[in-house]
Amino acid sequence: MRVLILALASGVAFAADRPLSFNRDIRPILSDKCFACHGFDAKHREADLRLDTAEGAYAKTDGVQAIVPSDLAKSEAWLRIIATDKDEVMPPPKSHKTLTAAEKATIKRWIEQGAKYQKHWAFEAAVKMAGKHSIDSFIAGRLKDEGLAMSPEADRETLIRRVSFALTGLPPTIREVDDFLGDEGAGAYERMVDRHLASPRFGEEMTRHWLDVARYADTHGLHLDNERQMWAYRDWVVRAFNDNLPFDQFTTWQLAGDLLPNPTRDQLIATGFNRCNVTTSEGGAIAEEFVYRYAVERTATTVETWMGLTAGCAVCHDHKFDPLTTKEFYSLYSFFYSAADPGMDGNIDTTAPFLDVPRASQQAALEKAARREADALKQLDALAANTTYADPAEAQSPLARQTVRDVIFDDVWPIGGDAKNTSRNATDWTSGGHSSRRAVRQRNSFYHEDSITGMLAPVTVPAQAQFEVWVRLDAHDPAKALALALDTIGGRKRAWWGETVADTPLGALPAKEKRGPLPKPGAWARLAFSADDLGLQEGQRITGFDLQEAGGIVWWDAFSVTGESDPATDTLTSFSAWWKAAAKKDATELPAELRKVFAAGPLPDAVPDQVAGLHAFYLARIARPVNADLAKQRDAWMRAQADKEAADTAIVGTFVFRDLDQPRDSFVMVRGQYDKPGDKVEPATPAIFPALKKAKPDARATRLDLANWFISPEHPTAARVTVNRLWQQFFGTGLVKTSNDFGSQGEMPSHPELLDWLAVNFREGGWDVKALVRLMITSATFRQSSVVSADAQKRDPENRLYARGPRFRLDAEQLRDNALFVSGLINLEMGGRGALIYQPPNIWEPVGFGNSNTRYYLQDHGPALYRRSLYTFFKRTAPSPFMSNFDAPNREQSCARRERSNTPLQALQLMNDVQHFEAARAFAEQVVLKGGSTSAERIAYAYRNVLARPPTTEEVAIVQQTFEHHLARYTKDTAAAKKVIGNGESTPRADLPAPEVAAWTLVANLILNLDETVTRN
Amino acid sequence: MDPIFDHQLIQTRRQFFGSSGLRLGGIALAAMLGERAHAAPSRVHPALSGLPHFAPKAKSIIYLHMNGGPSQIDTWDYKPVLQEYFDKDLPPTVQGGQRLSTMTSGQARFPVAPSMFKFEQCGQSGRWANTELMPFTSQIVDDIALIKSVHTNAINHDPACTFVMTGREVPGYASIGSWLAYGLGSENNDLPAFVVMTPQFPQGSNGQALFSRMWGSGFLPTRFTGVTLRNAGDPVLYLRNPDGINTQQRRTMLDALNQLNRRKFTQLGDPEIQTRISQYEMAFRMQRSVPELTDLASEPQSVLDLYGPEAKTTGTFANSALLARRLVERGVRVVQLLHRGWDQHSSLPKQLGNQLKDTDQGVAALIRDLKQRGLLDSTLVVWGGEFGRTVYTQGVLTKDNYGRDHHPRNFCMWMAGGGIKAGVSLGETDDFSYNIVKDPVHLNDLNATILHCMGIDHARLSTKFQGLDARLTGVEKQHVIKELLA
Repeated sequence: MRVLILALASGVAFAADRPLSFNRDIRPILSDKCFACHGFDAKHREADLRLDTAEGAYAKTDGVQAIVPSDLAKSEAWLRIIATDKDEVMPPPKSHKTLTAAEKATIKRWIEQGAKYQKHWAFEAAVKMAGKHSIDSFIAGRLKDEGLAMSPEADRETLIRRVSFALTGLPPTIREVDDFLGDEGAGAYERMVDRHLASPRFGEEMTRHWLDVARYADTHGLHLDNERQMWAYRDWVVRAFNDNLPFDQFTTWQLAGDLLPNPTRDQLIATGFNRCNVTTSEGGAIAEEFVYRYAVERTATTVETWMGLTAGCAVCHDHKFDPLTTKEFYSLYSFFYSAADPGMDGNIDTTAPFLDVPRASQQAALEKAARREADALKQLDALAANTTYADPAEAQSPLARQTVRDVIFDDVWPIGGDAKNTSRNATDWTSGGHSSRRAVRQRNSFYHEDSITGMLAPVTVPAQAQFEVWVRLDAHDPAKALALALDTIGGRKRAWWGETVADTPLGALPAKEKRGPLPKPGAWARLAFSADDLGLQEGQRITGFDLQEAGGIVWWDAFSVTGESDPATDTLTSFSAWWKAAAKKDATELPAELRKVFAAGPLPDAVPDQVAGLHAFYLARIARPVNADLAKQRDAWMRAQADKEAADTAIVGTFVFRDLDQPRDSFVMVRGQYDKPGDKVEPATPAIFPALKKAKPDARATRLDLANWFISPEHPTAARVTVNRLWQQFFGTGLVKTSNDFGSQGEMPSHPELLDWLAVNFREGGWDVKALVRLMITSATFRQSSVVSADAQKRDPENRLYARGPRFRLDAEQLRDNALFVSGLINLEMGGRGALIYQPPNIWEPVGFGNSNTRYYLQDHGPALYRRSLYTFFKRTAPSPFMSNFDAPNREQSCARRERSNTPLQALQLMNDVQHFEAARAFAEQVVLKGGSTSAERIAYAYRNVLARPPTTEEVAIVQQTFEHHLARYTKDTAAAKKVIGNGESTPRADLPAPEVAAWTLVANLILNLDETVTRN
Repeated sequence: MDPIFDHQLIQTRRQFFGSSGLRLGGIALAAMLGERAHAAPSRVHPALSGLPHFAPKAKSIIYLHMNGGPSQIDTWDYKPVLQEYFDKDLPPTVQGGQRLSTMTSGQARFPVAPSMFKFEQCGQSGRWANTELMPFTSQIVDDIALIKSVHTNAINHDPACTFVMTGREVPGYASIGSWLAYGLGSENNDLPAFVVMTPQFPQGSNGQALFSRMWGSGFLPTRFTGVTLRNAGDPVLYLRNPDGINTQQRRTMLDALNQLNRRKFTQLGDPEIQTRISQYEMAFRMQRSVPELTDLASEPQSVLDLYGPEAKTTGTFANSALLARRLVERGVRVVQLLHRGWDQHSSLPKQLGNQLKDTDQGVAALIRDLKQRGLLDSTLVVWGGEFGRTVYTQGVLTKDNYGRDHHPRNFCMWMAGGGIKAGVSLGETDDFSYNIVKDPVHLNDLNATILHCMGIDHARLSTKFQGLDARLTGVEKQHVIKELLA
């Protein structure tokens, strides 16, 4: 019975003779069964009775006292608990809550023993137990109390693999294993741990866990779920862990980096923590409502992350179980309610506040390119101002036609053109065009269109006009159809190439507009058509154009026209013809003082000075250069422009957090409704916690005050929550199992003294994360063997007493990274935009909104396929199955603890996913090349690579038998063998026999699916 | 040999190939285990203890979600009086200062757009329906219970879709399908408990986004997430062996894997190893059971005809509807079809026509097919979107062209089958289909009713989340709609 009772508190079977404690034994029962009506929430309190404090429980009302210490017969609460009358018994039947016999017995004994109350443990300051202690002394002490003992240390092969996954998310190499096995000196284990702590992979593994808490992703998360630029934040977290940034600073930078004196760029990037929340830009949505929701979400996430409290329910009413009133919730919320980001994210990837984060070289390059461009333009304008020009339209006698060649666009879009695209996978400019520096790249597995309208230099169709454009189709994902449409006065004219792609806007193009097949992918090719092909007349003006593609990737470059032009009507030779044809409002390329006169068109009463100004503008930037000097300078300017744009687009940025200049007033929102403000509140912290110290006592409290409060020595939870999350990371379960809830609905710590000892040490030691990790990893507790007897398994199924070492399934990212790593396919490049790795068809497509730029998944190729999982693209509304199948959260909200499920879909993925199977083939090649000559040697090599240990004789026999079975088949059926090794995009080695590699591929697939492989043992 | 292990390990190779055919379903499994005196038939998807709370009327549910907000005015909520109000302003007393979406809140006028379609009374029940666009569904009105007074909290798609499926507007909560899988488990050991399909929808329609949270497990264990039966690639993710591997080789691999894992279990004692072995075996069984499920060769022509010309075309609504029947026939607990494109802000008559042309026959066929097999009594079918549409037009208004904005204050849904009183109509709206005047049904009540039909007391199906007993139906007490129950 006793064992059962205590088991309720933390899922561990405890010895029967421990003294009763309110927090450990009583509070969980009362919290679960009584506090909803007799707890902290005054509004829903029944009979004006509260049982969460001694004052409430001992209070006499009308001569009745709920609990009388040591006197069961006079304790009304007890009499009600044991009542049989339906109207009397507590909890009442309508609550659907009942006390078990064991719970009743515990309460009975507690009252008999004097009904002593304690403040909820997590709200008391952590106190370090006096005397000399270690993790192991706490663990061993508790085990001794239970009549148990620690397990012996695991063997070295198990240990190095355990440490390697725990600290780097990757398995050890054979060489690392050999080094460790060969190190016979004292401290070999510690040296091995230190090597892993020093690896850049350490920061990556730590970051993986933090990103779940920070709800990091690469898309906005709501409605369109478009892409956002946020990865600089992710990369900063990696740096912070690798540089061992103390956790107090890690905290202040993320919550209030912008409020630090002269914040560094990293301090600003870090504020992205509270920009990682989901946002919307849904048509019809009300911005104020979402501004409110974002602030609520940020408050709840911050409270959960640093206080270990679930604050969500206090949005609508006082917390029923924990001392957090609605007013206190909104006081915390007011720290975040003045955020400067808009309610509607605009569906763009740069939603303000946004910080450009150029590398130093990029910033210098941009500044230099901008200066050059400005200089080139200045010279061009000066040259043009001193150039004499006679308008051919005003010539006495008609001028002869000239042969002309005009570039419509090349390295930049045409001057004044308004560029739009179909907001799917956005257009980008890449280096290495056909003609010179850059080319436009369109990428979309469905359809993409770039539309240029309102060109400031409209093109006049010459006689015998021949148009040409250069294109390159991607070798992997060639577009299936291309079209180029010209906007003219008199309608749209189009030419297209390729095949009909049903269901796209190019699906119903008339056959007569088709100009031919598509060129061969992978090389630049010229597409040409004549004015006649399109039914264009000489003298028509082209004011814009559309580039369209369906079904893949294409680069466009150097669009030009040649023909015989009449100088008197050609917009590029006749100033008056141009002015007349191009006149438009708001031509921002023009100096401000010339815009009005330009818009009005060529009128007789135009001010001569202004006309002269327009003249100069025309000669400099629009007209076909009238002399060699101008031609040379124009060319220099065009190049400078392209260089500047290239330098500019190379720079990425990231979302940062900042407040509005004028803070918003905050109110309690009645029942959590955004448009029902109640009492006004000021930024403040809950009463149960130590007081907030403000930097400026008379001013409004700031987020920096809040951050400093979390890390102050008096704060009871920040350090505890943090050490607990790390404990969970390394031991599988936190000392407090509910690592996101330290409140009274959460579980009690299994080892409260240890938790406090770790927390105080962590804080006093300067919040040194690597030191804390090292302390845990080098403990004997961590180093224990994970072998478990049937008895021990039954006694402590979750290993909460730590009588054995931790053993649990690898996380989603680790599983994928493991396969890539042992196969040698892995690409360890760090940072940058999320890679689009292998993904089955129809993960994004069936859910994405038509206009979303993350509707169509366009996979990367080459080394990007083998990036570490941390650096893969995360779309919130349709996460990649390699993540979601293995319990990764969808990052729509903060997640402090992943589950570890064990499902058939996981088995299918590990066996059949191309990523895993290709890795098996690449691994098989390594086995054949480096694993020795006999199959037994090769099996041993494979085992050591994957499991760090050699196989047993029996294991070799089992594996060898399957190898021979597969080899026999593939020797007979080489076509099948070739298929096996052909899975995936990396090229199989041609110098190895296909049947042999295929058979080893199946062996590798087997070994990569072993329980031992997918587990941190 | 470890007896526990022996008990859990479902099949050895000899048993697998030795059984008749390769279809080792739940029954064969039970029989096999039954041969051993100590073994009780174990379910791959067990129910929570204590569930169902009472005898369920429906064993399975097929939830047909028409995503985008189908117009109640142009389908089921017949308002003849509106013809007199064509292009007249919606009376302010009707509008009542209610919240509008910002897509129309700036409109100078709110001109009434009567439905341009022909409505007729159908069936024994005399239910009014748009027979022009719903020639098939209008014939099964006596099998359904229509609710004209459903209302929801949210006015925009994302929060409304999240609400209709999880009972909350913000992400993070469990979907109705995962609640049911969590509570009730499933009777089929070779297929997932909760299957989701997202059929194609008409080209050119306003296809709003879906969100995986609509079938996500939220705070429940991730294994209760809906498994997508897919239109492209493998019908279940990673189902097919890679090129160049045949079933026999996969079996060889699994035999070795089992042997090696067993050895490890003997050494380490971790029961997770046993679970893993049985999950690999279930994966192998799914490699048979799923293709068998999607292969329609055994369906008679008469059944295919019922679903229409697209019945055999993968990914169509008709095909998905037929698969839904095959799934519940096999004991799958929850089937969810999410059909997109019902968001008609403009060109409603034409686009709604396209949507119904895509789905009308399949929906009616599903009801008839379930009925003719005697499955309708044990299958609950639910049809509806995330909200309704406004009586006033958004944008242009002519007799045969108009658009409608979002309207959360009342919309139509229907239910049929297990536990539902066929042929009834519940709830009334005012002459403008703008306000509920009788018997309002909040989505939480509707969800409580769905759970009730499945044998669940909604107030007692809860789990701890963020310090609360989280329920599908929210914090407040909800009401099972008795009028809908058989």
